[in-house]
Amino acid sequence: MDISFIAMQFLSGLMMATLLFLVASGLTLIFGVGNVFNFAHGSFYMLGAYLAYQAVSVWHANFWLSVLVASVGAGIFGMLAEFLFLRRIYGRAEEGGFQILLTYSFILVIDDLVKLVWGTEYKSLPRPTGLTGTAEIFGLSIPSYNLAIIGIGLVIVVIAWLVLSRTRSGRIARAAALDREMLGSLGINVPLTMTVVFGIATAMGGFAGALAAPLRSVSPGAGIEVIIDSLIVVVIGGMGNFWGAWLGALILGEVNSFAVATFPEWASLFSYLVMVLTLIFKPEGIFASRKIRRI
Amino acid sequence: MSRSKYFCVMALALVAALVCSIPVYAQEKIIKIGALYPMTGRAGLYGLDSVDAAEMAIEEINSKGGVNGYKLELTNTDSKAKPDYSVMVAKRYITQDKTHFLFGVVSSAVGLALTEVSKQYKKIFIGTDHASTQLTTDKFQPYYFRVSNNTFQSMAAGALYLKELQQTKPWETIAYIGPDYAYGHDQWQELKYNLDRFGVKYKSVGEYWPKLFAPDYTAFITSIINDKPDILVAGFWGGDTVAFIKQAQPYGLFKKTLYFHPDAGGNYELMSAMGSELPEGLVLSARHHNNWPETALNKEYVEKFFKRTGRYPTYAAEGAYAGIYAIAEAVKKVGNPDDTEALVKALEGLKIQLPEDPEGFTSYIDPETHQIVQVQAIGLTKPNDKFPPAKMMLGDWKIYKAEDLLPPKDYAERLKKK
Repeated sequence: MDISFIAMQFLSGLMMATLLFLVASGLTLIFGVGNVFNFAHGSFYMLGAYLAYQAVSVWHANFWLSVLVASVGAGIFGMLAEFLFLRRIYGRAEEGGFQILLTYSFILVIDDLVKLVWGTEYKSLPRPTGLTGTAEIFGLSIPSYNLAIIGIGLVIVVIAWLVLSRTRSGRIARAAALDREMLGSLGINVPLTMTVVFGIATAMGGFAGALAAPLRSVSPGAGIEVIIDSLIVVVIGGMGNFWGAWLGALILGEVNSFAVATFPEWASLFSYLVMVLTLIFKPEGIFASRKIRRI
Repeated sequence: MSRSKYFCVMALALVAALVCSIPVYAQEKIIKIGALYPMTGRAGLYGLDSVDAAEMAIEEINSKGGVNGYKLELTNTDSKAKPDYSVMVAKRYITQDKTHFLFGVVSSAVGLALTEVSKQYKKIFIGTDHASTQLTTDKFQPYYFRVSNNTFQSMAAGALYLKELQQTKPWETIAYIGPDYAYGHDQWQELKYNLDRFGVKYKSVGEYWPKLFAPDYTAFITSIINDKPDILVAGFWGGDTVAFIKQAQPYGLFKKTLYFHPDAGGNYELMSAMGSELPEGLVLSARHHNNWPETALNKEYVEKFFKRTGRYPTYAAEGAYAGIYAIAEAVKKVGNPDDTEALVKALEGLKIQLPEDPEGFTSYIDPETHQIVQVQAIGLTKPNDKFPPAKMMLGDWKIYKAEDLLPPKDYAERLKKK
């Protein structure tokens, strides 16, 4: 294995990791803050991809505008889902089970909705203008759109960190993760916080879907495919741990990339192996330093 | 609504349902076909196309008076592509609905489960889309018939294509990528078997097994580029093909390596999804093509489907269309849909002229394996906007004779031994 091939596989892994992180970050945010496991998070990703398709192919909008449309659209949908349905089951004794059932039903509803509006044919989005070619770095040819995605992922990590640690809203979100009742008694509108956080999380799902759309096939059922890997990322990184999600995605992406290059027949086994080892030896997630700290 | 009122309404509804359904059974004799196509998820398009095409065939036959005084009737239940669920529905079709034929199925896993039900209840199962060779070789049972090509036939045609290619454009190395389940593995085994059988010399430099429906192929692509194969054989279907091609194209993979995808690669859904993004010069095939052969029957079939649904058909549609005609022909020969043993005899060796048959050839069902025998055409992607939204279609066809694509007599034995 020569050095340029190793660099190439590393970049491939980074590319996979970035898209994984973008999906998993919303999943981990809503788990961290709201203690809600949103099984339908992948469906918001799919919805984002379809909204981007709608904006670009039907309304002939600019690609970056369509990413905005997708994020906002998925966010509004998410807030509606939280406000109308999820809110009713908070605090019930059987909440965990209800969450899975309810959010699973969102998957079915969103899948059928997408089929009604856009049909079952596969949709495809071209890469945005200016990013259709390849870029040369250190003698390696990398598709420029892939590089752009890796960059966007890094920006999102930094923005999310700044918002969560340096702003008042971020502090409220982190407080909600620790003690919702206490936050309420301090005069914070907790239900509103929950709706907004859910909206931001699903908007991130929609954002990831829109960014991935030029690389993947947009079809009903696309949400299911990403949710499993995202879940592995979240388990590795620690449920509700934002930084953990980024590092978890990086580990999963690189493990997968080098497994494909060295043991192609067993490649898919390795990601599960990492998860199983994490669950056995550090069930709270590799990067959870203290059990209580989330986000 | 009060309780008594509620019961009144329910009772009325029940009576209405009974009244409406009685005359249908009293006046008409019906051939009942119980279909199990997926309507949701990634294979949903194949299911939808199949049901539309089957209904189109049924309308054509019924509008001409049906078969021997019988009208055809199709019921479809969403198989959800799940074998256990499909088995339950199939048993209900047979025991409660008194269905004459089991029909359909996109997934080979569901096909393999249903062929057991068909064997157990001695009910004919017409397979229209699933391609696993096992159903007509080592898992063969006398009540199963398949009316579309299996992967062995596609791979035999593929091996012949590669053999000819070696004479004009010498190639040595080959790599494979396909989904990590029976369908993906079968294709690679069958291609290698056929290459050996036709005496083609090659060196395999890589095998890759992504999960079915994997969204990201980047790591596979960069690793394949590093292997530098002359030919990359792909065994994807559906959206996986779209995703792989989209991700591989900016890496320049198709400039370095010939992309070769002879079973499901040439399905119209790829052309319709990718439009002008589809690269030129990929070598693809499928079980039916919208622009080949240019016979009146094929043109009429494609246009009629388009008028009916507003979209051009994927290959799954023609399988279902063929299945309905096979049932109609068999019932015509026997005179009724109830004598299963006579119907089996009638289907064995049955000849039916189908949209995918080129001039001078008629598809027929091999009496020994119950597999339909058909011609296979492999083509290159070329600009062609006659079937929008596709901007590329296949052209420069190479045609492979049906008889050359059948497995040798001892092939079923070989599989059983494994």
